[in-house]
Amino acid sequence: MRIALVLSTIGAFLRYFGLALLAPALVSLYYGEHRDVIAFAGSAAGAVLVGQVMRYRREPVHDLRRVEGLAIVAGSWMLLSWAAAVPFVVAGLNPIDAVFESMSGLTTTGATTMRDFADFGRGVFFWRAVTHWIGGMGVIALFVAVLPRLGIGGRQLFFAEAAGPTDDKLTPQIRDTAQALWVVYAGLTAAQVVALVAVGMPLYDSVCNAMATLAAGGFSPHAQSLMGYRNPAAEWITIIFMFAAGANFALHYRTLRGELHAFPRDEEFRAYAGIVLVSVLLLVVFLRPEVPDLTDRVRHAAFQAISILTTTGFASMDFALWNDQSKMVLLALMFIGGCAGSAGGGPKIVRQVLIARYTLLELRRVLHPRGVLPVKLGGRVVPDDVMRGVLVFFLFYLLVFAASTLIVSAFGADIVTAITASIACLGNIGPGFNAVGPMGHFADLHPVSKVVLTLAMWIGRLEVLTVLALVRPEVWQTSRWRRPVR
Amino acid sequence: MRIIIIGGGEVGFALSRELSRDHGISVVDTDASVRERFENLDVEFLSGSGTSAETLKRAHVDESDLFIACTGLDEVNMVSCAIAKGLGTPRTICFVSRDDFAGTDGGVESIRQHFGIERIIWPEAQLAEEIERIIAAPGAIDAEVFAGGRIRLLEFRLDAGSPLTTAALAALRLPKGALIVAVKRRDAIEIPRGDTRLSAGDKIFLMGTPEAVGQVVPQIHGVQQKQRAQLVTIIGGGDVGFRLAQRLDAASGVELRVIESDPRRGELLAATLRRALVLKGDGTDLELLESEDIGRSDVLVSVIDNDEKNLFASLLGRSLGVKRIITRVSRPANLRLFERVGIDVALSARGAAVGSIVHQIQGGRAHLLAVLEEGQATIVEIAVPPAFRPRALMDMQPPPQSIVGAILRGNDVVIPRGPDQVRPQDRLIVFAAAQSVAAVRDYFGTT
Repeated sequence: MRIALVLSTIGAFLRYFGLALLAPALVSLYYGEHRDVIAFAGSAAGAVLVGQVMRYRREPVHDLRRVEGLAIVAGSWMLLSWAAAVPFVVAGLNPIDAVFESMSGLTTTGATTMRDFADFGRGVFFWRAVTHWIGGMGVIALFVAVLPRLGIGGRQLFFAEAAGPTDDKLTPQIRDTAQALWVVYAGLTAAQVVALVAVGMPLYDSVCNAMATLAAGGFSPHAQSLMGYRNPAAEWITIIFMFAAGANFALHYRTLRGELHAFPRDEEFRAYAGIVLVSVLLLVVFLRPEVPDLTDRVRHAAFQAISILTTTGFASMDFALWNDQSKMVLLALMFIGGCAGSAGGGPKIVRQVLIARYTLLELRRVLHPRGVLPVKLGGRVVPDDVMRGVLVFFLFYLLVFAASTLIVSAFGADIVTAITASIACLGNIGPGFNAVGPMGHFADLHPVSKVVLTLAMWIGRLEVLTVLALVRPEVWQTSRWRRPVR
Repeated sequence: MRIIIIGGGEVGFALSRELSRDHGISVVDTDASVRERFENLDVEFLSGSGTSAETLKRAHVDESDLFIACTGLDEVNMVSCAIAKGLGTPRTICFVSRDDFAGTDGGVESIRQHFGIERIIWPEAQLAEEIERIIAAPGAIDAEVFAGGRIRLLEFRLDAGSPLTTAALAALRLPKGALIVAVKRRDAIEIPRGDTRLSAGDKIFLMGTPEAVGQVVPQIHGVQQKQRAQLVTIIGGGDVGFRLAQRLDAASGVELRVIESDPRRGELLAATLRRALVLKGDGTDLELLESEDIGRSDVLVSVIDNDEKNLFASLLGRSLGVKRIITRVSRPANLRLFERVGIDVALSARGAAVGSIVHQIQGGRAHLLAVLEEGQATIVEIAVPPAFRPRALMDMQPPPQSIVGAILRGNDVVIPRGPDQVRPQDRLIVFAAAQSVAAVRDYFGTT
């Protein structure tokens, strides 16, 4: 691995990320929060400066090796979360909590360490929403879309970061694909802002909540999440946009281009819709004692099922107080996640579909030992190596989940808190049950637990193997960058 | 007529034998050793390539009336047709064995334009379609469709308890639109009349519209058969097996298994078929057939490209208890043998193709639709001449051993009874015993 090449590429990303820090500075300026203006402006200047220094040894990125691609992606996400944490430190969080908060923002988790929302200015909440929005479609995808000279390397980076085992490109050039996806994403966000304002939510809250919804994030500027607005229409609008955020954006794009069959023909989307339907029905039945009114019950069931499944993590009710059978439905949804190519996290529906099919085929193979039984998706055979990748992914996912649960409970959390905090962070969902419920926070966990959960968010967002592969010793055998032979 | 045949294989030989009595035949084959086979026939044999203009000129292609390309290679067949057309032959017939060409945009029409081919014959596809028709009619021994599916002909054997044996035909009140055109008793074909009484063991030929035939079928077998999915096992996933499997895979009410010995081919089958179970193994492997309980199958279709293996697999299936067995026969000479040893339906793709070409050449106004019972009976389509004087069927005396099964009038189908008229421009679907075909043709073909 050529460290200089990796650092200089990350430095380039950091420079541009610094510009994003100027947006909350303007918001803070508008609301007269002067300390935060300086914090954001200072962080922006710092990020640009550090990025410029890292960029000192400028290398063209045209022959990126695989390991370098992984290191750039994993390193960028880590470094950008540190940069994003600086304003939170200024605003009063300790460094561990601040990095937790910014990683939670960028990975669109939505788990918070803020005890009291009144301590923080509007610019800070806006910044949380912006980190969601940038992280939702992927920072690398954003850079690929806007940076002109990322070259061939951008393609590898794009797929190393991509969510799910798909490689559906919409256009031959990766840059056009990234741009198309970002345009759809921005368009849907704008649509939700308009809709929320139309039903009476203030503009500032509409923008923050819309960015958190489309990113499948979950940070709301309101301490009680969506519940705090007491606005059923806004909840329905959020339900619809959360559902859209959990679907594959490539399908949104194709539908907008006039392929009306794109959604119904996609097997993963059909499974997604089916899971939503079944879990909403179960919740409607189980929640009868909690919510007597049927229309309210349907709304809360749909809101919470979709919020957890798409890994958004918004709350229209404090679901940590629900009965156990309802919470069990939500816990099961936490292990599924959104569609591949969506803003959602988790193991992804397509992987679960493939694992289910593979398992069922094994049952059939017992009866027909000579049968030729390939796993199929969308009428096409899934190659063995892809299938193995999916199984290995899921094994590692469970391994990381188990390790995180053990550590968090070893440092004092109760079992439910440890389990749900781990899956909520690893799956980029946000809230869990008990102490880390939707109306609670992660601030009271042991600092070691918080560091582990921060790493879990990072590992979960980059789909486990991208990060874990970097543990291999051969990755760190550095090789000096040499000027290309002309 | 002067006819040039490219390819001296099974099809080329069968065509030469059928046509050499009345026509001048030139056979072209690259393999000179094939010549021996043709020495007993009165044909000219030229050794050379069908795609060589020089060879074709030696065969006097410019003076020929018909050009038939039937080598085993699709590309050779198509190219030689194109060259022959360029050299001045008026009509070309091309054999193909894969669907690569059928799938091109514009279909047969575009192939006709670009390659100058008048008629494409794809024996494997025809065979697959025919097998599917037989499977789709549960209980029937044989099935044919005519007039683009508007008319159906089914062959049944009557059991002892069949309601059809309880009364004379006239008293059975079959639905309008269905007609029993023939009965086969003790190897003799007979055209039934109103007072004919059917008995157990008879083979009957039922013709009619699909709806009417569907009403009659439940009456044929006494006990009501319960509606469950038919279990079909196909042995051999080659051209015919694959095509048939694709068609049955899409049909409802069929549970399908395909046994294929080539692992790569098996993977292709499993990738393409949605519901079918593909098994890797040899169709003659008794252990496999037993462990997969093939004996439970309602239909066993053996379509390996090897007559010996097909026969063996079919007989294994029979001994395991399969109810109906359909087998492909490559060499038409084996057809009778197969049916004699207990195969329910033995079909030859090339045999049927040869039959249809021979008929096209010798048929004239009448058009052969099907040959039944090893040639004992035929179904012919006859165009009634424009000057024909309209008459009711009961006022006509058609030749013995024949019956008008259906009248096609524009888009209408009439399954006729006595008072129905035959009018000019009608097309008649006539069932006729082999010896009366010529008489039938003359009778309806003249005013």
